[in-house]
Amino acid sequence: MKTNRREILMFAGGSAVGVLFTPAPWRLITDTALWSENWPGIPAPARGEIRARFTNCSLCTAGCAVRARCVGDQPVQLSGVSGHPLSHGALCPFGIVGHQLPYLPARVKEGPVKEAAAAVADGIAKCGLTEYVAMLDPRPARTASWTYRRAMAALKNGRYVAPSSDTSIAVDLSKARTVLSFGVPVLDGWGTPGNVNVARAGFRLIQVEPVESRTASMADRWLRVRPGSEDALAQALAGQISHAAAADAAGLTVPEIAALAQELEQNGPVLVLGSSRLASTAGAVVARRETPAPEEWKKAAPAADLASLPDRSVRVLLIDESAPGGYLPWNAIEKKLVADNPVVVVFACSREGYARHANYVLPVGVYPEVAEDIPPAIDSVAATFRIAAPLVSAPAGMVRPEAFVAAAAGLAIGDTLRERADAIHKAGRGTLFTYADAKSQALKDVSADNFWKALNAGGCWIDEPDSKPSAARLTTVASETRPAEESELPLAVVLTHELTPGSPLLSKVYRESNLRLAPGRVALNPSCGLDEDALAVFETLLGKCRVGVTLDAAIPPGVVQVSGSPALMDLCAAGARAKVVRV
Amino acid sequence: MALGAGWLAFPRVLYRSRPEPVNFSHKIHADKAGAKCEDCHSFRDDGTFAGMPAIDKCAVCHAAPMGTTAAEKNFIDDYVTPNREPQWAAYARQPENVSFSHAAHVKRAKMACETCHGNTGTSDNLRPYQIDRISGYSRDIWKTPGTPHGMKMADCVSCHRQKGLEHSCLDCHK
Repeated sequence: MKTNRREILMFAGGSAVGVLFTPAPWRLITDTALWSENWPGIPAPARGEIRARFTNCSLCTAGCAVRARCVGDQPVQLSGVSGHPLSHGALCPFGIVGHQLPYLPARVKEGPVKEAAAAVADGIAKCGLTEYVAMLDPRPARTASWTYRRAMAALKNGRYVAPSSDTSIAVDLSKARTVLSFGVPVLDGWGTPGNVNVARAGFRLIQVEPVESRTASMADRWLRVRPGSEDALAQALAGQISHAAAADAAGLTVPEIAALAQELEQNGPVLVLGSSRLASTAGAVVARRETPAPEEWKKAAPAADLASLPDRSVRVLLIDESAPGGYLPWNAIEKKLVADNPVVVVFACSREGYARHANYVLPVGVYPEVAEDIPPAIDSVAATFRIAAPLVSAPAGMVRPEAFVAAAAGLAIGDTLRERADAIHKAGRGTLFTYADAKSQALKDVSADNFWKALNAGGCWIDEPDSKPSAARLTTVASETRPAEESELPLAVVLTHELTPGSPLLSKVYRESNLRLAPGRVALNPSCGLDEDALAVFETLLGKCRVGVTLDAAIPPGVVQVSGSPALMDLCAAGARAKVVRV
Repeated sequence: MALGAGWLAFPRVLYRSRPEPVNFSHKIHADKAGAKCEDCHSFRDDGTFAGMPAIDKCAVCHAAPMGTTAAEKNFIDDYVTPNREPQWAAYARQPENVSFSHAAHVKRAKMACETCHGNTGTSDNLRPYQIDRISGYSRDIWKTPGTPHGMKMADCVSCHRQKGLEHSCLDCHK
């Protein structure tokens, strides 16, 4: 048989066509796809012994108790701890996926530690008589905060700065029959989620807010007011101005305000919550004792407001952004720095916050990698002490902020958490609740070593409640809006409350689904003339930046709701006005 | 020739057979010992599925030979006495990126084992484990008459749809 080129081509073509009518090519496609799922480097679930470990969530000051289901040493599922007297077995969506936080793609993994230490030492040495070394601690009342205060006391010109937050008073939701909230996200990340849920049936919630937030939508009554008019309404309810004046400012009617005043009078005790106010008619705001600390720590520097520092006086600024806390806009901080070469060192896990303005960004461990204590939540009537015990190891090269600051100040520190635990044990009051067996026992019946072990294995010390009513009174803050702004900047700014950093997966879900206003986005009424997802420029008197636009019918015309991302919060002072222009 | 190669030769090349370490008879254990599926393939106290029984579970009954067969003697000598785990090949092994909960399907949805595992529970022999050389998975998990059929996402989705269950990616790909 003679084989020529034509026959070879026909054979090849026929075979190619014929093989398409067999399972072979289709099977190969499927199998190749399955094979590629098991390539090296593709993440796979851990294998090993399944066991439960316990810790406390440090993503916010609620500090909910956490049961971690671990495979080997790897936590794979987080849930609440049933029977916990404060968190009542609940865990918020951010807490449920907290174990994914170490895998944040944008995480800071290395930094110039030696260079930063040298620059800080140089800055301290150069500090003039009227210049300061300042430590900004967005989450005060931690054990690390004590170290910062001690370090600043050890320095000649040290100042410890913390956002205004009074930890000596707390809110007892169980005592309130009516809660009047001025924009506080009571049902959406404010207090301890489990505690709020348990108390929710016992109080009527009246939400005063310009936009229909999640709390507003779940409240018993939502009063939509004009942005910035909350203070006028509060003053009218306190009898300081007339109902007519408040109605004019807030966009409500006089009968509505009168009915509200009557309701508050008849359905007490009333608890008033607001960003600048905290008050109660009878016992729902209580004094809270401080968590004990070693006596030798008490010589620490007092907490100061940022505003108390003179402008252009801070030579060295250290900011601990490792734990989420209150955010002070950068423009307020920047004017306190000296004009010539200030040193700004930020301890952070991402570059989205103050790290944008720092000379040195030093990487830190995140929850659940580092052992740290969590200050008491606003709705915890008793002082507490609980430790976020590490579930996984921190990567190499992470910096312990308190050790860095103490070293810079020449302060020798030991195991400060253990020293604090010993001081609490020495005080001998309160109870220890252990998570593995859900039991409480008096602290005086527990040895110091067992107390320390219990805190690290999942435990919480709860002080005896003071239960004295606090002297906190209703205070009001005048809006800083300038009339001249209204023509140039037509939109009133409403800030969403700050977001707790979440796992990469959760962030992706809420950003893509619009469950929450994602960082870098603003929400406007659909009548604003912009399209959904349009790119726009957001501008206030403090500057401008690019944003994405979300259209939301819950936002009234003339209002722009701004996400709680640092870049946007830097542009928004209290009572700010803005304009949003299409790019 | 291409058709012949695709239909006949290709499967022989693609799959590699591997015998199970022990010729286990589910039928004998069910008939003579009265064992039920969950007696050996049990759920742990925390609700998770234990999968293949460990050798110490076998040793409860097989500490000494139960019978005089060579297979029984080999099983005792090779595995029970040295306390060595048989390297069972799991027909229904799922990819690492899938989370399958036996508890959700057996305890909550009350599904019978046979729905997915066919007549394995009443079979007298373990069939050879045929491994797909490329994907590394079993050729057949169902043990139902007809063409061998592995388990793919489409099978999960199909069953969930038949039962009118809502499903999302994160149900299985956690």
